[in-house]
Amino acid sequence: MNRINTAILVSPWLLTLGIFWVFPVVYSLGLAFTDYRIFGEATFVGLANFGRLLGDPAFLQAFSNTAFFVFGTIPLTTVIALILALLINDKIPGHKIFQAGYFIPSITSMVVIALIFSSLYARGGYLHLLGRLIGFDVPPNGYLFSTKTALSAIMIMDIWVAVGYYVLLFLAGIKGIPEEVFEAARLDGAGFWRRLYSITLPQLEPITLFVLVINTIRSFQIFVEIYVMTRGGPLGSTSTVVYFVFDEGLHKFNIGYASAAAYLLFMVILIFAIVQLKLVTHRGGSL
Amino acid sequence: MSLILIGMLSPLVYMVTASLRDVFSPASLIGIFSGNLTLANYKEVFAGGRMTLFVLNSLLVAAVVTAANIVFCLMTGYALARKRFFGSKALFYSATAILMIPQHVVIIPVFILISWLGMYNTYWALILPWLVNPLGVFLMKQYISNLPDDCEQAARIDGAGEFTILFKIVMPLCKPALAVLAVQVFLTNWNSFLYPFILTSSTELYTLPVGLAMMQGLQQMELGRLMAGSTIAALPVIIVFLFFQRQITEGITAGAVKG
Repeated sequence: MNRINTAILVSPWLLTLGIFWVFPVVYSLGLAFTDYRIFGEATFVGLANFGRLLGDPAFLQAFSNTAFFVFGTIPLTTVIALILALLINDKIPGHKIFQAGYFIPSITSMVVIALIFSSLYARGGYLHLLGRLIGFDVPPNGYLFSTKTALSAIMIMDIWVAVGYYVLLFLAGIKGIPEEVFEAARLDGAGFWRRLYSITLPQLEPITLFVLVINTIRSFQIFVEIYVMTRGGPLGSTSTVVYFVFDEGLHKFNIGYASAAAYLLFMVILIFAIVQLKLVTHRGGSL
Repeated sequence: MSLILIGMLSPLVYMVTASLRDVFSPASLIGIFSGNLTLANYKEVFAGGRMTLFVLNSLLVAAVVTAANIVFCLMTGYALARKRFFGSKALFYSATAILMIPQHVVIIPVFILISWLGMYNTYWALILPWLVNPLGVFLMKQYISNLPDDCEQAARIDGAGEFTILFKIVMPLCKPALAVLAVQVFLTNWNSFLYPFILTSSTELYTLPVGLAMMQGLQQMELGRLMAGSTIAALPVIIVFLFFQRQITEGITAGAVKG
């Protein structure tokens, strides 16, 4: 009786896990080694898909765009978020308002954000005008229509969106530092910078690594803003791996080929996540 | 700091302002003050009933998924916290591991699976995969593990069944955690784009984010109307956030600090 009850209790999660997570992950790996195209049979093709990917200029461009996006945004997002969290925590009046205000963009629908920035970046949009006012060499048709500026424009938007979310995580980390440690340091005559350097930053190491892992996993998957703002254009300059997977798999129905691309990215993400997590455990931190 | 705050919020202010102007031309920096204040854009967006449909779809899907998550995550969390059975540890860790799997790996197989099941372009496709959120399982298990189990034991001695105990005794104690879960799941679903976009194809089933993206793509929508639609999508989220700020913050930091 007890067993039956337990089985009933866990069955919803067990079913969801099996049907919508484990099966797709395994099935997708299987598909990556076939030439499945929805219509007709799937034949095993070994590593051919992966070989083809490495010689496909569209994939390579998508991959390098994604890498540029990840390594361009993550350091900036992390540093800005950390600085803002330190400033907010310093008990300035109205710190709650700042915390809430910074956070709002990150809970707003990405589609909405993308639509707003599309119009701000467009020819005659505010950011277009502002760029000209400052004296930038702005592209005449708006930032999203130039191969030089489109990706960077989307990156700036993404930093703007994400920062508040990580401020929140850093604030939680700062709150977790025992007050006595600061008191002791203050009594010993440690100044603001000394306390920052010797206490706050080292204590924030675990949360920083957590932020990096989360942000890496997320950033590699950039898709929605690309779809809404540029559809990978102009000339593939904003195409990303997930956009490539979507385009090949669910537009052209090259299911096998797209699955291989998806898995290749999955492996890259996994390697980054594992390396980052290893760093945590090596330094004796715990997540 | 305040300057940054203005920078963070001005795009959203821009959205609302643009949605309230009859002729909006950002061609000059004072454009935002030109034209008359009007609700005409909202009227036009709702004319024809499409926008109403998108809003109702989003509400329906988010509400059903949220309700299901409250029940199912509670059930699973309770079992994982209180029962020892074969694979209980593995089942708990699976919830954490799933959070690391990128969505793009599963979109194609889920698309194929949903088609096999004959659910492509139905409400089922929008709801079924999300009934139990891994983060919710994690959250509820942690929360229930930290509750004392005296009341449960007493009820059990009095002859109460397992489900009576769960829904009459444990559930009321879990209200704070369930609130965190509910807000989190509701917002995630309200904002969700990728899955509804891939798993539906007819306008009648579009949720608000998908509908907005399509409005922009298909006909060159007038900016004012597009921003009116965006405001309708964004405002409920901001209102929910202002009311449930503590729950949202907890939901996000729970994974970071305890995970």
